[in-house]
Amino acid sequence: MKFKAFLTDNGVNLLEKRFLPALDKMGRICHLYLSRDHAIFLHNLLNGDGVQSIAQFRKETLFEDYRISSQNDDRIAFSLDLALLHRALRSSVSICIEGGAANRLQIKLVKKLPPNSRQPTPFLTFETKGYKSAVIQDVPISKPLSRADVMELQSALDMAQDLPQTLVQVPDLVQLQSFVDRLKHVGDLLNISITQYGDLHLQVSTTLITVGSEFRKLRVLGVQAEVPAGDPDMSAQSRTEMAIQRGEALSVQVSMKHFAKSLQCHLAKPDCAFYGIAPQGTCLTVIFQFFIPGTRQTDKSVSLHCRLPVLETGSG
Amino acid sequence: MSSSAVEADTPDLVCQLDNVQGMVDALSSVRWKRHQDAVVELSEHGVVLIVEETGCLQAKVYLKRELFLSYEYRSEGRPRFGVSLGIFVDCLNTFSVPGHSSTIEIRYPGPDMQLLLKSVDSPDACIYAEIRTRIPDTISWDYNFEPAGSTPLSFTVKSAALKEAIDDLEWPGSSIQIVLQPDPPSVTFKGEGHGDLQIDFMYYVSTDLLIAFHCDRRVSYRYKYKFLRATTSNIPSSVIKDNRGSKLTIGRGGMLKVQHLVSVSRSSIQHQHIDSAGYQQPSRIAYIEFYVKPEEEEEDI
Repeated sequence: MKFKAFLTDNGVNLLEKRFLPALDKMGRICHLYLSRDHAIFLHNLLNGDGVQSIAQFRKETLFEDYRISSQNDDRIAFSLDLALLHRALRSSVSICIEGGAANRLQIKLVKKLPPNSRQPTPFLTFETKGYKSAVIQDVPISKPLSRADVMELQSALDMAQDLPQTLVQVPDLVQLQSFVDRLKHVGDLLNISITQYGDLHLQVSTTLITVGSEFRKLRVLGVQAEVPAGDPDMSAQSRTEMAIQRGEALSVQVSMKHFAKSLQCHLAKPDCAFYGIAPQGTCLTVIFQFFIPGTRQTDKSVSLHCRLPVLETGSG
Repeated sequence: MSSSAVEADTPDLVCQLDNVQGMVDALSSVRWKRHQDAVVELSEHGVVLIVEETGCLQAKVYLKRELFLSYEYRSEGRPRFGVSLGIFVDCLNTFSVPGHSSTIEIRYPGPDMQLLLKSVDSPDACIYAEIRTRIPDTISWDYNFEPAGSTPLSFTVKSAALKEAIDDLEWPGSSIQIVLQPDPPSVTFKGEGHGDLQIDFMYYVSTDLLIAFHCDRRVSYRYKYKFLRATTSNIPSSVIKDNRGSKLTIGRGGMLKVQHLVSVSRSSIQHQHIDSAGYQQPSRIAYIEFYVKPEEEEEDI
């Protein structure tokens, strides 16, 4: 089992400034899954109850001279602590800058004997050559996943690729986040409804209070329906109820904590975000898109999406 | 649940407010503990919110109709309802977007006697809330404030100085004596408990702190520290910044009245830059009043 590569400037920038801070908020421990073509950071794919997040990079986006080999079809997966990875990366970068442009940041998988131990342990190692010094940083990682576990991870990953039929684009993630931050005081459970007309309706309800927010006329991807003619003064609740009855909307209940967490992905600076409910209301999916810098074209080499477990389905 | 039911019956009140943060500030100033039940009274003059603490302390927030962008009142009597103050304030806070001036509509009653709030800035992005109300408790004792004599016993002190003095008295704690005397004209706060602390405001020495003073005879009353503290513990930072005066009056039987003014100016960003000299439209002020009963064993000295 071997893995060795050099991080590109773009890769360093993406990980250090954007993705690692965002992913760290999703949970400190995650799986890093490396294959011949991709590096993928995965949260909660093997244990079902938290927010699943999947950040996938084509190898060229992060690395050059990418070498990987394993007896399991050149696939390696292990879990690691994102805060440690972030810290090691940050300090390696500062040394690298000090050393000048010719320096490259190498990352590799090693097995070492830690001090006071006889058991060799696996590490992800960052190696930087500064102007006069070389610095090696070892990030401890879990034992690589067994063949069976990698298979399970891969099948969970395949399952997580299913797209909701209708996705609506959220106009302003930061604004939504500040609203949700204030809504957190109201209750722990959030009802979300998404219509095929491009309405997104969030609602928290307790015995004493109901607070909600409705965004209308959002951009719709996938299955779309014409806005039915109706009373323009109709309340958000009635509008949503009607759409559900017509089979043109889905509604689910998720944990407020999970929803707030998924919004932390804005730290990865996505260019747009879409919300959708999987068929039969099995989960709430959030898809973040990144543009090729300077264009409005989707960068297919980077992808990030989250799946929030559903507590209760409001519609069939 | 449908909105058509709301429109069928004419609500008692439909009003619009363009400074949510100002209202949050005003209501927060009477929030001295986590769970408080408030009574809201509606009239053609505006909205009054009343909170009280077991017959010893009462606070009122007056939101005059001039504070609102529009105020449509259509009731014969004066409808009153009970609401949880904490929920009401947290809910209003959801509508206040930092750096934005947001306009909300408040409506009462909803189809199920709820208090209904909704943002009206944009038809395509709307926030709404329904707060359950209850039948209000009867007010446990009468806070009719009567003057103590022919001359009012009152003084006006800079809000920040008042808050600071009351905060400092936390150390002796328990019971605080307030003494007003005409010669030399001064106000004394005295705490005896874990040690003694006395804070004097001398009218002629510190006219910038003690702005006004009316007193024709020496009076002295004791008040529970926790009630005195409630009168300043949550006054919004905007009041401290504006630093106008807070007026304290002692009425018959030693009842203490504390009045603050909270600015509810048009934009929440703007009001942070108004200095003490800045002109404020009087209509854009919310009035806050606290009534504190004195401790019983103390009589005039």
